Amino acid sequence: MLELIAQALYSGVLQGGSYALIALGLALVFGTMSVINLAHGELVLLAAYIAYTVESRLGVNPVLAIPLAMGVVCLSAMLVYALISLIRNDREINTLILTYGIGIILTNGVLLLWGADIHTTSSAWLQDAVVVGPLYSMHSELLFFVVSVVLMAGLWWWLSRSWYGRAVRAVSSNRDAAKLMGINPRLTEIISFAVAGLLAAFAGVALYSYGVIQPSYGHVLTVKAFIITVLAGIGSIPGVLVGALLLGITESLTVTLASSALQELAGMTLFLLVLFVMPNGLFGAARRRG
Amino acid sequence: MKSSRLTLVGLLLAYGVIPLTLGQNNYVMSLIIASLVIGGVALAWALLGNMGGMVSFGHSAFFGVGAYVSAILAMKAGVPVALAMVLGGVGAFAASLVMLPVLRLRGPYFALAILAYAHIFKIVATEWESVTGGAGGLASVPRFPVLFGFDLGSKLGSYLIILSVVLIFVVAYKWIRSSYYGLALRAMHDSEDATRVVGVNSTLLKALMLFVSAFMTGVVGAFNVHYINFLEPDYAFNGLWVTLPIVAAIFGGYRTILGPLIGAVTVYLVDQLIFKNLIPNGHQLILGALLVAMIILSPGGLLPLLRQRKRSQHHAAS
Repeated sequence: MLELIAQALYSGVLQGGSYALIALGLALVFGTMSVINLAHGELVLLAAYIAYTVESRLGVNPVLAIPLAMGVVCLSAMLVYALISLIRNDREINTLILTYGIGIILTNGVLLLWGADIHTTSSAWLQDAVVVGPLYSMHSELLFFVVSVVLMAGLWWWLSRSWYGRAVRAVSSNRDAAKLMGINPRLTEIISFAVAGLLAAFAGVALYSYGVIQPSYGHVLTVKAFIITVLAGIGSIPGVLVGALLLGITESLTVTLASSALQELAGMTLFLLVLFVMPNGLFGAARRRG
Repeated sequence: MKSSRLTLVGLLLAYGVIPLTLGQNNYVMSLIIASLVIGGVALAWALLGNMGGMVSFGHSAFFGVGAYVSAILAMKAGVPVALAMVLGGVGAFAASLVMLPVLRLRGPYFALAILAYAHIFKIVATEWESVTGGAGGLASVPRFPVLFGFDLGSKLGSYLIILSVVLIFVVAYKWIRSSYYGLALRAMHDSEDATRVVGVNSTLLKALMLFVSAFMTGVVGAFNVHYINFLEPDYAFNGLWVTLPIVAAIFGGYRTILGPLIGAVTVYLVDQLIFKNLIPNGHQLILGALLVAMIILSPGGLLPLLRQRKRSQHHAAS
């Protein structure tokens, strides 16, 4: 029993690392622009399908698809930004509906291009087991957990140390004041979308490497990413990691101790609980939500 | 004067001309019925969006709960179908009671919290096998009865039922908008704080709109289950029951009463008759593109846009 729980915790932590990668882009854009990009999960899925195409057409390891996925998804994310910036009034409600529409376009576009079949990687190395003491995982899970932590550290460094990262944070805390300091808010917003696209590309290739993909999955990813963003609290990068780990562990414990049918239920309940009890998330600065 | 004559013509068309000309064409009738189902949900969605200022991605929760409550009452307790339909609406209202805490949330938080409830209800419907039949669903749900020799379960009968239900909703919506509640809600849309200061309980009003919207959606869901006689969780809580109404309401103009209905009939029929033939798999791509285009070009919807054009032409003429 103890071993089972240890294994569940370990799997949950690894899963949480991948979830963090999925949520980072959404959290970044939400933090800088207060915009929820409901097409974010679909962007991640697009990267996953690019990995699938590269693997099945060229017969190479899907990890090598990362540069191509980065290009395509980054451009798509900037296109999403271009559409959002065309909205004239009622921005909060209209961006929600707009990005919801983009999500529908992407889901059905994937369906048209790749069909409704489910796909999974055929790379044996990625699926081989790694044994750490009594604990098991796949190569891919461990690999992308490390990638996720490195990217998160990089993002944290970028936001807190580099000029552009500081500009992004300045625009998010006060757009007008940032403008007076000579920061171009539009440019920083485009950059944050582009970075979100880069992160989504990594997340998508990771998703294809350890799991199964199908066209309707993008929506599920968006919801998971939003749950993690809420758990984290707005604008907190370490919060995203903790929120993602919490979700991953909750899910894997539910699957182990109860039933896999209840996995989604556990995530949703956690989400609602945090929303109602701790509306600022676990690490968010106090900000009004209601 | 002019608008009342228009209403009369519209009613005559809906109750007289359409049944007489298309009544025997089962394919067309089934398309029209489905578009009215979407229209009913779109109307309920728009009521919450327009009066309550809340965008919901979880209306499939009410649709599914309404369908399940009505089907189970009719099958297991022998409740007459008409009464079961109303109770389906009551069931959806009860489901919205659980959601009351979400009223404290705004914007994306509200929209996605309600979606979370929809997921939870779907899981409950799947797992609570003894009552709901689980993932396999419920087959042979009772159909509408034969009344005075007229089969209400036929395409024509079902059409008349859903048409009447939707028209009752329209009247109710009109009444709410012109009542004290409507005035307060419109004031709230301009400034929630100012409205609260003059003594309006904004949370209570928002709750009322959520209840009305949930009840309406539940009744439509209940109609749908007795019309198709079959129910399963994936169908009852399908995301399509949110996507299509949102496209319809935005297309027609969700701040008007008839906009969502006209939007639903137009969008659904065009989608089924044209887009589906062009792209059999993934034709909703065009719906997504339509949604994006509407939000960017005319977020108020097509109906207000047309009216504006007309008005400016009048001005130009005079």
